[in-house]
Amino acid sequence: MAKEVDRRTLLKGLTLSAIGIGSVVAFGDLLEILTFPNGQKVALAKAVIFADKTLCSGCRICEMVCANFNSDGRNASSLARISVEKEYLKGDYQPKVCHQCADPPCLKVCPVTALQVDRQTGTYARVIDERVCIGCQKCVEACQRYFQPSRPRFDLQRKRAIKCHLCFGEPQCVKFCPLGVLRLERSEKGLLVGYPVMREN
Amino acid sequence: MASQGGWVGKILRVDLTTRKISETSTFDYVPKFLGGRGLGAKICWDEVLPEVGAFDPENRIVFATGPLQGTLAPTSGRFMVLGKAPQTGPIESFTRSGVGGHFAPELKWAGYDAVIVQGKASKPVYLWITDQKAEILDATRLWGLDTYQAQQIIWKLHGPKTRIMVIGKAGENRSRIACILTDTGDASGQGGFGGVMGSKNLKAIAVRGTGSVAVARPKDLMEIIHTVQRLFSRKPFRGNPYQPEEKDFKYNIWGGGYGRGSLSLLPGELLDLCSDPSSGYSQNPDGCFACPVSCRSHVKGPDIINGVAFCAQSYMYLETMVHQPEKGYSKITWQAAKLADLLGINAYELMAIIPWLSDCYREKLITEEGTGLPLKEIGSWKFISTLLQKIANREGFGDLLAEGGQRAAAKLGGKAEKFSQMYYPRTGKFGGYREHWVYLGGFPTGYAVPTLALMWVLDNRDAMVSHSYISMLWGAAFTIGQNALTAIPEKIFPILKPVMKAAFGSAEAAEFFQRDGKSLNWQWTAQVTRRYHEYSLLKDSYVVCDILFPYLFNANTPDHVGDVGLESRLYSAVTGMDMGLEESFQKGEMLSTLERALAVRDGRTRQDDILHSLYFEKEDAGGRKYLREDLERSKSDYYRLMGWDVKSGTPTRSTLERLGLKDVAEGLGRKP
Repeated sequence: MAKEVDRRTLLKGLTLSAIGIGSVVAFGDLLEILTFPNGQKVALAKAVIFADKTLCSGCRICEMVCANFNSDGRNASSLARISVEKEYLKGDYQPKVCHQCADPPCLKVCPVTALQVDRQTGTYARVIDERVCIGCQKCVEACQRYFQPSRPRFDLQRKRAIKCHLCFGEPQCVKFCPLGVLRLERSEKGLLVGYPVMREN
Repeated sequence: MASQGGWVGKILRVDLTTRKISETSTFDYVPKFLGGRGLGAKICWDEVLPEVGAFDPENRIVFATGPLQGTLAPTSGRFMVLGKAPQTGPIESFTRSGVGGHFAPELKWAGYDAVIVQGKASKPVYLWITDQKAEILDATRLWGLDTYQAQQIIWKLHGPKTRIMVIGKAGENRSRIACILTDTGDASGQGGFGGVMGSKNLKAIAVRGTGSVAVARPKDLMEIIHTVQRLFSRKPFRGNPYQPEEKDFKYNIWGGGYGRGSLSLLPGELLDLCSDPSSGYSQNPDGCFACPVSCRSHVKGPDIINGVAFCAQSYMYLETMVHQPEKGYSKITWQAAKLADLLGINAYELMAIIPWLSDCYREKLITEEGTGLPLKEIGSWKFISTLLQKIANREGFGDLLAEGGQRAAAKLGGKAEKFSQMYYPRTGKFGGYREHWVYLGGFPTGYAVPTLALMWVLDNRDAMVSHSYISMLWGAAFTIGQNALTAIPEKIFPILKPVMKAAFGSAEAAEFFQRDGKSLNWQWTAQVTRRYHEYSLLKDSYVVCDILFPYLFNANTPDHVGDVGLESRLYSAVTGMDMGLEESFQKGEMLSTLERALAVRDGRTRQDDILHSLYFEKEDAGGRKYLREDLERSKSDYYRLMGWDVKSGTPTRSTLERLGLKDVAEGLGRKP
């Protein structure tokens, strides 16, 4: 099933991105400047994590590596930017990754533009600038409308939202997943995935 | 140096009689006793006196995690269940049982390093622990349900992320062979702690935590994880999770002969179905928390009970393969093991009980009428379902078997008792898996290895469940193209030598019989066993999995030397307190002595450190024998090395004081 979805998403992505890229090329920097709130277009992510759940053994190393790496050694499932949803009796394990949406609901609702596109590392991931975040959790709510569980999460201790930022271009979950469930798909043209192409629930 | 990470700092104490819930500081016990087995031993030393019986309300059941639980540290899903165990015999004494799965991290994230349960509830209850608080809740509606149903109801009430330790009917009826199950097959079986929970009217412990565990040196930890992953596993080849991408790579578990998900299904009907994608059956590797290997498989299908397959699930009811040889490992074999899980019976013990019943029936010591069991059809579904239901409900003959194979055999006496000794090497030890027995390759067809004999006599449960030692022997056998059952000792000595040198300090220790090939070499036995006990204590106290640690044998390098320092490096990275290898061995020695003191206080003496005479009578596959006097000499060597009194096997006062166990020395001194 998951493979099915991936393929479909990719195909759609390819057709749609052809149009999308056209505009990126045409407008160049202008489009990137227009990435701020309220329905504006956002430059596509150039890297995104895909998961093949058929391989997943549910060991949750991805969660722990993420928390350990990104939350200063606070190891916790609740601080992981990737989350393995497990149905134990059915043996159905589904790693839930941030899709770095083409039209990211989280980014658009942020009232203080703490959510930005990471151009520095070239991944164009949607990232949260912790120094700017005020902890209003609007991004969490926005994501929740389309994806379960919400990919941005709330760090209760620091009162800040946290979110997958592709670890500066080298996602640790991908590196450490012992079963090769996760892979990083890169495309210089940008990947049209996540909302609005793909939704869950 | 103070700890900057690892432990979360609190131990939860629940008194079910008074319904009082309190907290104590973990730092009253750690870092001295580390956690897990060490922590549990200290708590039991302080609180569970010799006169307390396993099913008495005064007995404690301790669910103890260690500093590594809830972190990225590999296999940190493990934790220990400890207390006075009903399965031990002839006197009930302290023992431990390890469990994997995903319960331990959840407990740490909820804010507790351990849970101590004492007392007895007036009616069935379960314990609900979440983010720094605990509640005793009514479990009348859960009582009598099987382990899966009970978990499903708790998931409905508290959310699917809740992890649960639950007992089945066997535990409720205080069977001495009842396990505590979590998720679909991980269980604390040895010791029969399910019966202890049942005696306290405690159906389940449910935990959900959203907190975190601090790691002092996260970068170091990532580096060690990287090393560990490179040692033990590889990403799979083209989407087949069972095959490593590097063709010649061997997963470093069980000596390298088996791999990821390898302890799953044996060849036969069910495996064939699972290999056919259109059948609706499937198996997939299934990992405990933070495990890089995932040695288990999750098996599912339309008309079978879903769940994880582990060695116990695989080997519990092999009689089916004799009964229906054309089917091999069939759906019945699987369903039998799952039924044991649902009822909460320790499958390990059944591996001894079933062949023993078969022996007794063959020799006409028991009858179908007398037992109410269809003994003619051992291997059938009818037999196993009747047997398990009878044990779980304590009906008729099942009432006797619920006491465990050894107690049942003692009751029957005579020849039946003699037969049972085939499956239980020593009094008070629990039944189990052939390859864990005192011969390499299994009794009575394998090879005698003196170290294994000494390990067995000194423990009060299956001594081999620190798998690393036998995994090392197996690994050497695999290297020369043999397997665990056919290993020829002469040929594996050269392979073992560098490995033993690195892990146990002596290359000659690898030669476990004399040059002439006629008699066994006992010279190194005590030294090796001592170090093995230290490894095993440490492994259970940091709490990592015994399938990976201590890492003695590397199947992928020419010299096969492992790395025994991995655990202490993990400990240092997580807690921020440096622990050298030598220092860790001293800790292991101290904990080993503490456990012995506990056993002695419960009544254990040198005379209890024995094997059944059967094991001195038979020759091994090479025509060698264990000699009683050799074993006795080796025991003396071991006691001397440990600083215990040679005559009684009791740790001496000066040893206890040297190890910083002054209160233990005083407690032992007061013993009449």
